[in-house]
Amino acid sequence: MSLTAKKPLGVRILYGFWDFLKKYGLTILAIVLLVLIWQIVVDGFHIKKYVLPSPKLVFNSLFGPQAAKNHWWKHIRTTVLEVFGSFALVLVLGVSLAVLISWNRWLNRLLMPVLVLFNSIPKIALAPLFLLWLGYGVKTNIWISFFVAFFPVVINATTGMMSVDDDLLDLVKYLDAKKYQVFLKVRIPASLPYIFSGIKICATSCVVGSIVGEFCAAKSGLGYLMRDAQAFIDMPTMFACLFLLAVIGMSFFGTISILEKVCMPWKRSRRED
Amino acid sequence: MSEKDVLLSIKDLRKVYKTRDGELEAIGKVTFDVKDQEFVSIVGPSGCGKSTLLRIVAGLLEKTEGEIIVDKTKFNPDKEVGFVFQKALLLDWRKVIDNVLLPIEILKLDKRKYVDRAMELLEMVGLKGFENRYPNELSGGMQQRVSIARALIHDPKLILMDEPFGALDAITREKMNLELMRIWSESKKTVLFITHEIAEAVFLSDRVIVLSARPSRQVGSFDIDLPRPRGIDLKTTPEFNKYVIDVYKTLEVQ
Repeated sequence: MSLTAKKPLGVRILYGFWDFLKKYGLTILAIVLLVLIWQIVVDGFHIKKYVLPSPKLVFNSLFGPQAAKNHWWKHIRTTVLEVFGSFALVLVLGVSLAVLISWNRWLNRLLMPVLVLFNSIPKIALAPLFLLWLGYGVKTNIWISFFVAFFPVVINATTGMMSVDDDLLDLVKYLDAKKYQVFLKVRIPASLPYIFSGIKICATSCVVGSIVGEFCAAKSGLGYLMRDAQAFIDMPTMFACLFLLAVIGMSFFGTISILEKVCMPWKRSRRED
Repeated sequence: MSEKDVLLSIKDLRKVYKTRDGELEAIGKVTFDVKDQEFVSIVGPSGCGKSTLLRIVAGLLEKTEGEIIVDKTKFNPDKEVGFVFQKALLLDWRKVIDNVLLPIEILKLDKRKYVDRAMELLEMVGLKGFENRYPNELSGGMQQRVSIARALIHDPKLILMDEPFGALDAITREKMNLELMRIWSESKKTVLFITHEIAEAVFLSDRVIVLSARPSRQVGSFDIDLPRPRGIDLKTTPEFNKYVIDVYKTLEVQ
């Protein structure tokens, strides 16, 4: 550790670049190859653009002279807002509900069956109901997305809070810890790894939920744009939407991974001897 | 010592567990006193209810019968007890220093006032410079020493230790015994120590109480009249070994 610290900045940047290449080089190569093959196949077999657009056309619809007519930023903003909004809701309400469920035996018996019942509904099927209740727009889509993503987080967080070692609880109980202290000092932090694995499932579900909401009814958003482009058989725009959704999903997942490292620094440390 | 010095009196304590197969008597009747600043060990075969006894004293378990009388003029049994468990039980997500300060947070004392004390305690248990490490960076022996510092942070009068060195290897255990001796003589606490190692009990204690197998009854009590401070060479003296053999014989008889 101290050895690399003494090297000059330029050398360290080179090392960093080399590390990056070692880690992601093959991934980048795979993506580049995929795009190349796609382009060659479309050109070589003269595939019509309303069947499969070439990567070049998709790129043009995003960055070409015609890109402005799609109002990309407006739609991206809506979708991102929905994804993050529902994610925040899931996190806050999910962890709170998990605390309630694991608070005592009675609440557990009361809430757990209800939760399981709701979980067995295909959540997407709730979308039309939400539209009737809330009208269409960002708010509705946030709630649809919330319902799609909510359950894995609650169930994981509850599992985490309930599976704390009894001895660890005795450690604070002998000092007459209040119940809220038991949660704040032991149960909630102990369940962080569980919460994060729930959140990682939730990250993709949030995107799914938002898009489904936008499919059903919306004024903007990438899902809305896709439906719009579908009406005109505008394949390049539809593919561009898919590409952007993948980018949003990936950066969202990446943010969560970073958050995980920040929230759980002890997971990175290991004994040196 | 006079009657006045008694800190904790356990009278006719009995514990019965209700299990699916009926009642299980863990502790028969146990009666003994612990005096102020005394180091008392309880030895007995495994499964004899030693840990149960300690957990009842700590308020983690309900007793079935009997009394635990605490001299409340001398200490508050809710706040002035420290407990060292068999396992170190450190919270993974807290740095060493924050683990030591945990009782302060639970007791809602002013944390800032105890930071210096936490550092002193860490120095006392030989972990100076480790305050910002996470528990998983420490060895088993180091973790147990952190847990001892944690049990001392709120300046408890009575320290309950439940086979704290049971999980350690023989060499570390020997070192920890010497360390504990030193800590005890520096901090002048009252200690109730549970072990199944007779030599450990004799080496550390002013008094060794011997319990029988379940349901446990007190079958012997030995005042260990050996000079302090005690060093490792004490273990080779005939006086020391006589105590060990006496305790051993008491355990054997039943």
